[in-house]
Amino acid sequence: MAFPLPRGVTASEIAFLAEMETVTIVPRQRLEGLELLGGPIEPLVPPRRASLPLWLALLLKRQRRANIIPPTWLHPEPLALILEVESQHQDYKNAFSPPPPLPGQPSILDRDALPSARPQYTPDGNRYYAAPPFLHQNTAQTVASSRDPPSLPFHWVEVGNLLLDAASDDLVDPDQIRRLLKDLREVRMAKMRSGVDVLDAAATGGGGVALTGVGSMELGEDRGFITGVVDGLRRIGSSKEQARREQMAEQRANGGYDGTQDDDEEEDYMEF
Amino acid sequence: MDIDDILASVDRGPGASLESAALDHQLLTRFWVAERAVSEVLPWPAPLMERIMDRVRIQIETIEDLAASSETTLPTTANTHNPNLNLRLSILQTDLARSQYIVRSLLRARLAKITKYSMHYLVLLASRNKNPLASQTQSTASSQNPNQQPEDSVPDISELTDLAPLSEPETSFLHAHQTLLAGHYAGSFMGAFPRQLRRLDDNAGGTSMIQGPDLKEVVFVRCLGAEVPVVVGGEEEEYETGVTMRMGDVWVVRWEGVKGAWGRGEVELL
Repeated sequence: MAFPLPRGVTASEIAFLAEMETVTIVPRQRLEGLELLGGPIEPLVPPRRASLPLWLALLLKRQRRANIIPPTWLHPEPLALILEVESQHQDYKNAFSPPPPLPGQPSILDRDALPSARPQYTPDGNRYYAAPPFLHQNTAQTVASSRDPPSLPFHWVEVGNLLLDAASDDLVDPDQIRRLLKDLREVRMAKMRSGVDVLDAAATGGGGVALTGVGSMELGEDRGFITGVVDGLRRIGSSKEQARREQMAEQRANGGYDGTQDDDEEEDYMEF
Repeated sequence: MDIDDILASVDRGPGASLESAALDHQLLTRFWVAERAVSEVLPWPAPLMERIMDRVRIQIETIEDLAASSETTLPTTANTHNPNLNLRLSILQTDLARSQYIVRSLLRARLAKITKYSMHYLVLLASRNKNPLASQTQSTASSQNPNQQPEDSVPDISELTDLAPLSEPETSFLHAHQTLLAGHYAGSFMGAFPRQLRRLDDNAGGTSMIQGPDLKEVVFVRCLGAEVPVVVGGEEEEYETGVTMRMGDVWVVRWEGVKGAWGRGEVELL
């Protein structure tokens, strides 16, 4: 067997991905810049702040060569605010609190503004839109304007726990943070469970269920459950979907679209 | 060194290579996550993997040079430089190991899918590059062959040029694997079957023996473009769209509905 792991990244792989997030540190010693495979590392000159991938920051922290400055969201006040929104706010009874905006995405405060995605181009000429873990969502000075409400980044569970484990002396009131993170996780887990009712929508062709604001680890935990439920529902509803599609094909044929019916029939045949 | 090498070295100027190292790393990570998330084998990103493997090779040389220099200079500069040198070495090695882990995991995930759906991909490759006349004569000839063996149903793909979605080594692995497997089946039980039942790609009664990946399985995606519609049915069918995802949204949708958008880089698999 070439590969024993199930489909979809597992919990340890998610933690591995979270270690690619960028954090801010204050180095305690000099280190010349390095060219890593994951990109260049700026020279470390104490006491100037530097931005490093989390795995490197943790490596330096464990050797007491640096202090990690906690991300903007990993303080008691913003976490308490997010917890209040998650548990009390009417709009988010059944939804997660909004995630930090992607570059080019308008802030949650002005809903009418249109998003304008700004792609980079890869060396092969394809478009590339940056996304977590490669956005600076866990640095001390976030790029987002200060009027934005605090929000949980995609890898909040992993980054929060890694920092609590390895750098709790750098955090403000780590016990309080630990409590808040646990509360947040429970509130959001309950939401994930109660959302099972709507999973039927993802079982139909062209349909889907929105999970905007979900964290990577939360997704990993429920991936097997959700895909299992949706695939089961799809199998149960496949004859109904088949009938609907045949009906639509018929309507198209009557409406003057000819030639598509043959294709559809062939397709239907192939599935059985 | 020929002209292509010189051109390549100019293309990869020192400034550009730093930028693209970070970008390539992000592309590799995203591709790895995607490959882990879907049931079919994704198109092999040959240029990207070539660049990554080049960098890995150069990085290994750098680490070896550093390690060698630390040994030679040990007696004189042990007190001043050595702690930092060791730190630099360990950082470089950790970084290298992380990249190698992604590449290994990616390749193993692809191999697992190739072996699982080996007949599907062989038939897919063979059907694309063969002219219909030749395949017809071959199939009639094989059905008349009294000594029909399971190996005969393994298509010959040695002449193919278009190998998508597989890479060249993967294709030769696929063919060798399936030939061995068919030989094993023949030796262990299929040899005792009536000869019209010995084909591995039997589709008598409208049921195909070949199992392919299920494109209707759901995946988790993040929408990166401004607005991305979910397509009903596969790409070949009519352009019928379902729900529309907006930028930054995370959705549970069928893979076949967002496959086109993934190819354009407008959605990311999670």
